[in-house]
Amino acid sequence: MDYDHDADCGCQEYNELSRRQFLGTAAGLSAAAFFPDWLPKIVLAKNFASNRDIIVSVFMRGGADGLSLVAPFADANYYASRSTIAIPRPDSTSANKGINLDDFFMFPQAMAGLVPAYQATDLLVVHASGQLNVSRSHFDAQRYMEVGKPVDPSLVSGWLGRHLASIPPLKPSAPIRALGVANGLQKTLVPPTITTDLYDTKTLPIPNPASYSIGGAASSQAARMNFLKTDYATADEPVRSAALDATNTVDLLKAVNFTGYAPANNAAYPTSSFGRALRSVAVLIKADVGIEAAQVDIGGWDTHSAQDPLGGSMFRTMQDFSTALGAFYADVIAMGYNVTVVAFSEFGRNVRENGSAGTDHGRASALFAMGKGIAGGRVLTKNWPGLARENLEAGQDLKVTVDYRDVLSEIVQNRLGNPNLAFVFPTWTPTMLGVTR
Amino acid sequence: MRRAAESVATSERPELDSTPASTAGAERPSRRSFFFFGALAAASIMPRRARAQARAQARTARRKPRPDDAGAPAGASVPRGENVAPFAEWDQASANRLVRRVTMGITRSETTRAAQLGWQGYLTYQLNHTRINDDAAEAFVATKWPLMSQTSDVLFSADSGQVRSQLQESSIYRSAYSQRQLYQRMVEFWSDHFNQDIDKVGYLLVADQRDVIRAHALGKFPDLLKASAHSASMMAYLDQNTSRNKAPNQNYAREIMELHTLGVDGGYTQDDVAELSRVLTGWTITGRGQFTFNPAIHDTGTKTVLGVTIQGITGPDGIKEGEQVLDMLVKHPSTARFIATKMLRWLLDPNPSETQIATVASAYKATGGDIKAMIRVILNDSWLPAAPMKFKRPYHFVVSSLRSTNPATVAALSGMNSQLAVLGHQNFTWDTPDGFPDKIEYWSGNIVPRWNFGNVMAAQNSATSLVVDTTPYRAGSTAAAIDLIDQSFFGGEMPAVTRTSLVAYAGTATLTDAKARELLALAMSANAFQWY
Repeated sequence: MDYDHDADCGCQEYNELSRRQFLGTAAGLSAAAFFPDWLPKIVLAKNFASNRDIIVSVFMRGGADGLSLVAPFADANYYASRSTIAIPRPDSTSANKGINLDDFFMFPQAMAGLVPAYQATDLLVVHASGQLNVSRSHFDAQRYMEVGKPVDPSLVSGWLGRHLASIPPLKPSAPIRALGVANGLQKTLVPPTITTDLYDTKTLPIPNPASYSIGGAASSQAARMNFLKTDYATADEPVRSAALDATNTVDLLKAVNFTGYAPANNAAYPTSSFGRALRSVAVLIKADVGIEAAQVDIGGWDTHSAQDPLGGSMFRTMQDFSTALGAFYADVIAMGYNVTVVAFSEFGRNVRENGSAGTDHGRASALFAMGKGIAGGRVLTKNWPGLARENLEAGQDLKVTVDYRDVLSEIVQNRLGNPNLAFVFPTWTPTMLGVTR
Repeated sequence: MRRAAESVATSERPELDSTPASTAGAERPSRRSFFFFGALAAASIMPRRARAQARAQARTARRKPRPDDAGAPAGASVPRGENVAPFAEWDQASANRLVRRVTMGITRSETTRAAQLGWQGYLTYQLNHTRINDDAAEAFVATKWPLMSQTSDVLFSADSGQVRSQLQESSIYRSAYSQRQLYQRMVEFWSDHFNQDIDKVGYLLVADQRDVIRAHALGKFPDLLKASAHSASMMAYLDQNTSRNKAPNQNYAREIMELHTLGVDGGYTQDDVAELSRVLTGWTITGRGQFTFNPAIHDTGTKTVLGVTIQGITGPDGIKEGEQVLDMLVKHPSTARFIATKMLRWLLDPNPSETQIATVASAYKATGGDIKAMIRVILNDSWLPAAPMKFKRPYHFVVSSLRSTNPATVAALSGMNSQLAVLGHQNFTWDTPDGFPDKIEYWSGNIVPRWNFGNVMAAQNSATSLVVDTTPYRAGSTAAAIDLIDQSFFGGEMPAVTRTSLVAYAGTATLTDAKARELLALAMSANAFQWY
């Protein structure tokens, strides 16, 4: 890999800590970390001055219909293509009329939860975005996006895993740097093989951080933990690191009060799995335990039939999405925490609806970026291709005009303080679009 | 190719099962397996520790070379954990290796049986699954989960929660208690290959599991695929039942090529997806869950799929267009390769070599997709001893825990089913059609719930659900208890590091019931129990 960690990253907080010093610290830590005497003091962070954001990455799995999420009501072809599933115009009299964003695009009412963030100019929509590589397979398209490089079977690590591996920890003593709120580790977070040039990513899948603990009789707990630590010390990777990080994280999360958490601004997270996941991430961010990345998934977007964005299946998915992210905005971002959220899907859907009042796999969708460092309050397009049939890809789909890596590269560099873009997104030369402030 | 040729000869009979009972499991040992018997006999007179040391010396590195690295695709990198050499204590050439691969977990009776039959004999025994008497397990299922034998017409009126839990719990029971263990492993494999989410298809899945997956799990792949394509549940899961001539739905047309037959790189295009979706219009559901072809919504125009012109047919014979494409798909070389690769990953190695893929794909082509013939090629006694270990998925982990603890009473499995939800691997709940992943990178991080499951399993002591009886572990010395754990959970090959810790944990005092349960919990939580 042709990149240089010692290059000046422009970030104050870890210029102070030289590479050599860091390695010394980390080596000392990992020897001691087996039986850590380090226990965090849980203090709600009031220091918002850090200039390096925490990232919350949301994958909208299933191919989300960008033309329902952020609908181009001013494009006549939108209504011509969707006789049963279109969102009524904002200036209509329909009870289901859309919410005007910029006189061209609108949110459906199911997305109302994100209006405050948009109005505060902290929410950016990048439309007709996706990946330039054409794949209409969910699984290939998700894999390429998560890996951050299309059609390369030799690359198995994810873009966020490589970001973490190429930047020192926000908190060198943290037992866990990133979590996937899932039963298994999402590809986005899979680390590269850690060499001496890289940093341990300390990443775990934790489906429910609030109940992450060791069961069984309390009297034998310490002895059982010692057995496990010894037994897994000689395990092969990735199991050895997972077990080590897990035991340290169990100790860490014991001190975090999830159940008694009161969100700021009376924010109300939905009780859905997506809502609970974002709530847990908010607790961890405020507990200031050193979490610097979280991957959260929301499914339900594969709307081949009975899509119904006005009251049915997609309405409920969008409402869950916008209400949970809206709560996270009020609870965390509006409070001034340095957090950037990105949310995107593997592809959009056909412009024309199918015979089942749904839509089949398409190409471009809409991407969301949210945070105080995001130049939001607008729907960013780059040569909006429109929905006229002659302008559609393969005669059926909204063209991808912005590759998602352009947006993520700018965020990785400007908000996450990582200059190693060529490592995070190999072979990709980004075009900065001004998505960050 | 000698093995494949043998398989061809065998498969010309209607079923491998038609082998006369007297010869099943008692084939004349080959030179190689005869040699194994000799090695086993010699090994059995060596002290355990000496044997472990000898094997540790033989093992030079954790990451060992592959049998045919030269055939591996250039530049392909192997993810962490996918090329882990087995524990030094595992005798690679012993039938234990085969038991770990073809069963849902070690039991004392299964390792004893395998040692008696030898590699080929035991493989043949498991492959001839209908010759293995499974009456006890089936009788239990029939009594305990009666909805499983009902038709969709009846299940339509049944409580949906009952249908769901009976399907999930009976699947756990069969995985753990069926004597047909290799068959159960393949039921699990095909359930993922033809994955469906019970939250979408509901009671329809019962018939799919019974009449598609279980009926053909060790049959011929073409029969399996065609049964799946005529399954009401599959039609509902991939929206085929909403597709019609005016506006076809592409969901099933895409996945049958991408996930079920050709593979995503199998040579089809988006045009092929669109054209096949037209061919399949009319394939739908009628009544309370019967597959049917409805000519009224079938597109009777001419289509081109994979370069072949499909003439439109009106009336009930319109279904023949789809049948023609199914025949094309099962005979396609990409399908042979795709199925061979996936079965190799499941049974042998997450990163099979090009030579291995080509060999198994040849067996597919030579036998018309005979699943048993392919397994016979895959699980040969030179490939498997050289293969890396695999990491158990949570379902495999839970079922193997059940098998190794061998509860004295099994009255209900609802608790186990709930535990699987905690571990993220409850049957039939993966919502996308690719099925639960079989990747160590995906599962290995979620280790804390496994440790907690060990505690839950070892603590089972209720006559209305499960009773784990610790009496056998407390009948003799502590050393005897550790040996019994070794035999039950590790096939007599418990790694030294685990044994040392377990001995230290057990102490010297007479084991109490609580302490014995802690030892069982730690055995299930140990690193060595997570691999097979």
